[in-house]
Amino acid sequence: MTALMDMLTIFTHPELLLLVGLGTFAGVYVGAIPGLSVTMAVSILISFTFSWDVLPAISLMIGIYMGGVYGGSRTAILLNIPGAPSAIATAMDGYPMAKRGEAGTAIGVTTVMSFFGGFIGIGVLALAAPLVSDFALKFQPRDYMLLAVLGILLVGSLSSGSLVKGIFSGALGIGIGAVGMDPLTFTERFTFDIPLLTQGISFIAVMIGMFGVSEALLQLHHIDLPAVRQKIDRIVPSFSTIKKHLPLSIQTSSIGVIIGALPGTGGDIAALMAYDHAKRVTKNPEREFGDGAIEGLVAPETANNAAVGGAFIPMMTLGIPGDAVTAIMIGALYIHGLNPGPMLMIDQPHMFWFIVGALITANFFMLLFGLTGIKLFTKIVEIPRAFLIPLIMLLSIVGAYAVNNSITDVYWMLGFGVFGYFMRHYGYPLGPVILGVILSRLLDDNWRRAIISEREDLGRFFGGLFSSPLSTVLFVAVVLIFVSQTPLWTKGKEMIFGRSNRSAS
Amino acid sequence: MKRFAFGAVSALVLSATGVLAADYPAKEIQGIIQWGAGGSTDTVMRSVTPHAEDVLGGTVVMQNMTGGVGAIALNYVATQSTDGYTLLMGAENPLLYKVMGLGKKDYTDFTPINLLARGTPILVASPDAPFDDYAGMMAYIKEHPGEVRFGATGPGGLPSVVTAMIETVEGELDVISVPYDGDGPALTALQGGAIDVMPAVLGAAIEGIRAGNMKPLALFDVAANEKLPEAPAVTTFNETYNDFLPWGPFFGVFVAKGTPDEVVEKLSAAYAEAATNEDFIQLMDNRGFTMMNISGAEAEDFLSTWQQNTTWLLQDAGLTKSSPEEFGIARPGE
Amino acid sequence: MEPDFRGDADHHDGTSDATPGGYADSRRPGELVFTILMTLGSAALLWNAYGIAGFEALSSPGAIPMATAAVMLISSIVIFVKTIGLKKVEGETLTKDILPWIVLIMFALLVAFGIALKPLGFIPTAAIFLVLSMKLMARRSWPLTILIALGSLVMIWLIFRIVFTVLLPSGVVPEAEFIQMFRDLFSAGGDA
Repeated sequence: MTALMDMLTIFTHPELLLLVGLGTFAGVYVGAIPGLSVTMAVSILISFTFSWDVLPAISLMIGIYMGGVYGGSRTAILLNIPGAPSAIATAMDGYPMAKRGEAGTAIGVTTVMSFFGGFIGIGVLALAAPLVSDFALKFQPRDYMLLAVLGILLVGSLSSGSLVKGIFSGALGIGIGAVGMDPLTFTERFTFDIPLLTQGISFIAVMIGMFGVSEALLQLHHIDLPAVRQKIDRIVPSFSTIKKHLPLSIQTSSIGVIIGALPGTGGDIAALMAYDHAKRVTKNPEREFGDGAIEGLVAPETANNAAVGGAFIPMMTLGIPGDAVTAIMIGALYIHGLNPGPMLMIDQPHMFWFIVGALITANFFMLLFGLTGIKLFTKIVEIPRAFLIPLIMLLSIVGAYAVNNSITDVYWMLGFGVFGYFMRHYGYPLGPVILGVILSRLLDDNWRRAIISEREDLGRFFGGLFSSPLSTVLFVAVVLIFVSQTPLWTKGKEMIFGRSNRSAS
Repeated sequence: MKRFAFGAVSALVLSATGVLAADYPAKEIQGIIQWGAGGSTDTVMRSVTPHAEDVLGGTVVMQNMTGGVGAIALNYVATQSTDGYTLLMGAENPLLYKVMGLGKKDYTDFTPINLLARGTPILVASPDAPFDDYAGMMAYIKEHPGEVRFGATGPGGLPSVVTAMIETVEGELDVISVPYDGDGPALTALQGGAIDVMPAVLGAAIEGIRAGNMKPLALFDVAANEKLPEAPAVTTFNETYNDFLPWGPFFGVFVAKGTPDEVVEKLSAAYAEAATNEDFIQLMDNRGFTMMNISGAEAEDFLSTWQQNTTWLLQDAGLTKSSPEEFGIARPGE
Repeated sequence: MEPDFRGDADHHDGTSDATPGGYADSRRPGELVFTILMTLGSAALLWNAYGIAGFEALSSPGAIPMATAAVMLISSIVIFVKTIGLKKVEGETLTKDILPWIVLIMFALLVAFGIALKPLGFIPTAAIFLVLSMKLMARRSWPLTILIALGSLVMIWLIFRIVFTVLLPSGVVPEAEFIQMFRDLFSAGGDA
């Protein structure tokens, strides 16, 4: 009962309600602009809200977080430039829809599904946080490594053209992620003795370059083509559409919560894994994936918003950040005199319920701001390209600079923009590059931790795989998914199941 | 027209750089934080600086500049003009850059504005570990060589210094050292049972200890800490530690050498007053940090002693890339 | 084709990531050179990765980089062998379809932006960049171009510099003094 009252605190204080709303609104725009990140916004808010009380400060941060994770999908759909890493998968089916003039529908589905995913995440946080955090703690370096391998197998579903080119791109991404001083041993890797390279290559710079600048450069080929007029009559998806995708969205939301709750993995990986999952389980999509499949929007958007609730789970139960944003929020709680940690829920349960309440409110505001103002937003696409392209380039430059206040990042961003331009022309998919960069550290660090823990003994390592149920499940999943991507599988399946396969599904 | 505009602009620039120190601060001050958002350095700096701003009557815009274990930020501030408009907000590890081969500059190229506080290292173990205190751990390691997994955070990090200290005092440890990229992830791994023992800073471990998610083996200080009285000081197990302790990481605000004295004085005064703010002291206390609030010659002495002790400790443990001698860092006591 | 169709059925540019450009059965101008460069690059990376720690240990910092570079080299060789056997696409030339003049000019402008950003400062560099590129592409009158360029620049500057306090390189513009002046004015007004 007190829990409910604490959860409703926010509604009895109009100023808190207003702050959540304001934060969510700002978040949608912060998320939409590549280079302005939620992490950045929240860390600035720490100084800004320094003299405030803790509740208003947290309200504003939660609003920005929720809105920002959602906002990344906007530019992904409208411009094929993901505003945030967690929206990379959204661009793959969202942009083809915008090209047909269905941006309104795409944004509508995205919004409703983000709302749905957000709710699942918050629900799990509210009802099962201790359970999930116990589960997340069970992940050993070996399991994180298997998770990364599982992620790398997504290359297959992210490259619709030539698979070999996809594999090349994925490996390139992992290589890019390894450049610089190795954070575990301070060994220089791929630096070629150039001092500039020792600091590594910023992931955001690669993303902005490959998706922002290279897209803008490609658009130069069509400066004079008129823009697509966007239909915006049917924004809210019909109830039957939602019902049809309900099973999928529950599955992808669960992926989102778990990946979000694991320390060290976040919404970006969750969204890509969910996209892959959707591709695997959807038998007969109305449109092919990559061509504007609704499922291709449902999966990543439910997953990345569910990951928000997920990220709060280790933060609230253990004081361990689930991602970069919750890491900063933990700092904010310290500054405001709280001690985030395993005792927080026991010492100050009202804080937990207040945060749940604020997340719910932010989720509603996200739905509200997501479904209104679309008309204005779609106007962006209708700006003449001659003016839009230079602006995209400028925003890319400022965005790359802003990540770490570094001109070097701007150079990287431009370099990868030009490189990505050629890659696109010659049929190399860019998705796997980003996937590789995201997963590089996860794979590399955890492989080394796992093998060091087993005293460099491969036998002990494989023995360990079968000593814990979690590792065994992950390992079997890796093997199954790997085999399912080889032609052998399809042949074997046809031989065993024959035509009955279809009726069974 | 163009020439006129250019002339006007350059006149402004000239007048701007010629501003007297008496007017300081005449514009925004940049505060470059060496570590990422959400880390301890970040939290400390973002909570003390607003109080300093009040005293100073100016604005300090704080930016996180990460990379190269802080070397990127340090080099950036060192190359800015020495007008006091760029502050470096950092931790202890730049003092190890030279011997670790991570950079050619360290705090000797800077003037300390204020060394705010220092942390106390503590050795914690996962609750499932088959030992309950420091003595038990040492005995277990002797009986089971190559079995116990220690967390580490790369050469020069706090765990490497503490481990070097243990090895200097007790002789070589036959343990597995599992590398993590920070004490946060390592402590998470400790709670999940991926590692058994972790040398960490008290503030990072205190909440986990209170909840019983990790157990304290020994506090690396000469006496127990009032925040955690149940953790015995390591000197109660082996008195040789008195030679090296107290030791700990610290946080400080710096400006590049060559900054006008009046500016340094103004900044020092502002931060000295900010560090006495009750909220700030409360925050530091909660996180288990010991307030220092020193500046001027006292701070310089502290820095050079710290550097001597730590670099030679690492050198004797064979963890350095080049000897402290090469950089004119004398062995302590010489 | 629909009259307002925005994509390009003809040029296979890969305007959406999920449908990358290139053809399955023929090669585009410059594709072979790109493939060779990728193969050479992968070989160089593999050599460099071997240099990190050799075959010292499974847990060495060079283990994953070496595996990665090996995968890159093998896949790029496969791509190279495939590509070399393909016919050239008919009717496509490097200058028309891959690197038309406008793309080259924008490359140059971006590089110039990167070089000038630090010494000249963000505001002047960005202003020149926007005005030049917009004028070049839109071919509208100077006043209109300048108005749009500067208007949008002010918006971007306000968001990043003022709201998000990103310290963009100030170069020759005494930005910080300028902001402080306004801040003083503002706080003086507030006090009164």
